Amino acid sequence: MRALPGKASRQPPGRPPVSRDAAAADQRRRILDATADLVAEKGYQATTIEMIVRRAKVGYATFYKSFADKEAAFLTLVEEAIDGLDGRVRQAYDREREWPDKVAAGLGALFEEVAAHPNVAHACLVEAITAGPEAAALQESAMSRFAPLLKPGRELNPHRAQLPDTLEDTLMGGVIWVVNQRLIAGEAERLRALLPETLEFVLRPYVGEEVAAREAGTVTSAGAG
Amino acid sequence: MPEEEVLGPLPAGRHGFSREQVEHSQRERLIAGLAAAVAEHGYNAVTIAHVTKQARVSRRVFYENFDGKEGCFLAAFDVVVGHVRELAAEAVADEPDWAHRAVAAARAALGFFASEPDLARLCLVESTGAGPAVAARFREAARELVPLLELGRAERRAERPLPDSTEDSIVGALLLLASRKVATGEAERLGELLPDVTEFVLAPYLGAAEASRLAREAA
Repeated sequence: MRALPGKASRQPPGRPPVSRDAAAADQRRRILDATADLVAEKGYQATTIEMIVRRAKVGYATFYKSFADKEAAFLTLVEEAIDGLDGRVRQAYDREREWPDKVAAGLGALFEEVAAHPNVAHACLVEAITAGPEAAALQESAMSRFAPLLKPGRELNPHRAQLPDTLEDTLMGGVIWVVNQRLIAGEAERLRALLPETLEFVLRPYVGEEVAAREAGTVTSAGAG
Repeated sequence: MPEEEVLGPLPAGRHGFSREQVEHSQRERLIAGLAAAVAEHGYNAVTIAHVTKQARVSRRVFYENFDGKEGCFLAAFDVVVGHVRELAAEAVADEPDWAHRAVAAARAALGFFASEPDLARLCLVESTGAGPAVAARFREAARELVPLLELGRAERRAERPLPDSTEDSIVGALLLLASRKVATGEAERLGELLPDVTEFVLAPYLGAAEASRLAREAA
């Protein structure tokens, strides 16, 4: 069985799936990839199970073995994507020692992941809001996972008592808006160039403009190298 | 409240309206009907029948005014945005400087949406899921804020210019903050966001200390 393009980038090349479990996992993956691509192309509402099974090259029975309906497949897609993103962001964040470097690395990982998988990101960020309350709640939960990574920055601010409670959510909102704008414009790859500015935006309320700009300068030079 | 004039029913029976006025009213009724139907069912589940039933006009009249659900939604969106724009313009008229104008405009917009939760939902939540044409109109409306925020750059003391995307990020942050409040059913409490919004918007331009002073003033 030939590896699908979307799959090849996510998994190291290896033996084609032979066991029944591996074949089932492969089919499930293809269903989720097809769902992401179709939702990004046509929107959640316009996507049908028929389109998904055709694109994924699986039968209806296979689809229904894994998912009760379109929403279930979509929710699984969003949930797994958020888990994956969360893992990558946290890994990058944890590798650094200083908090501004941690945020730079985490934000860099977020932008990198979105640029590498724009359809999945589009499904999770742009379409999830339209796909009913459960999907919107998942997206909400993703925001609340990332916000705590920003909170330690409060310790760096001498006026921390005055920082509003909503600061982290607000900053995440700004970041997600910037990402969404690029996704909608079909320019996810441009996010890499926007990393320094977005980093400065996120750091500024905690460390002030000067330090934020300096930190942003370090990711610029790293990105250019 | 001017919005209630828009949303109110036409007087029954013989009235003094010209044909053109009635047609204008039918259009407004359809727009109001759509807003009510969207609040009840969500945009994607709304049918033309829901709208015409709410508006108490015929299907034929609907199609005389709009080519479909999306066209009607766009019209509704434009009416609401236009109204908020007017309220904000009135609110800033007597303010002494850019910072106070920004606060006054935010207060007016948050106050309006808090008093009209259904319209807040239509504009801030449903519009993001109502298809590409609506999403584009939403972004267009959001981008109107960018040049208004950019005026704040003249207030900066620091020599270094702000990054180009600063206003974009601020707009996104504000929209997400407001839309979350609406999405979680707390539209009535939008006004509570004003101090945080004030501080967040003003800090890049005026510095943290002055922004937080004005935020306390706004509370």
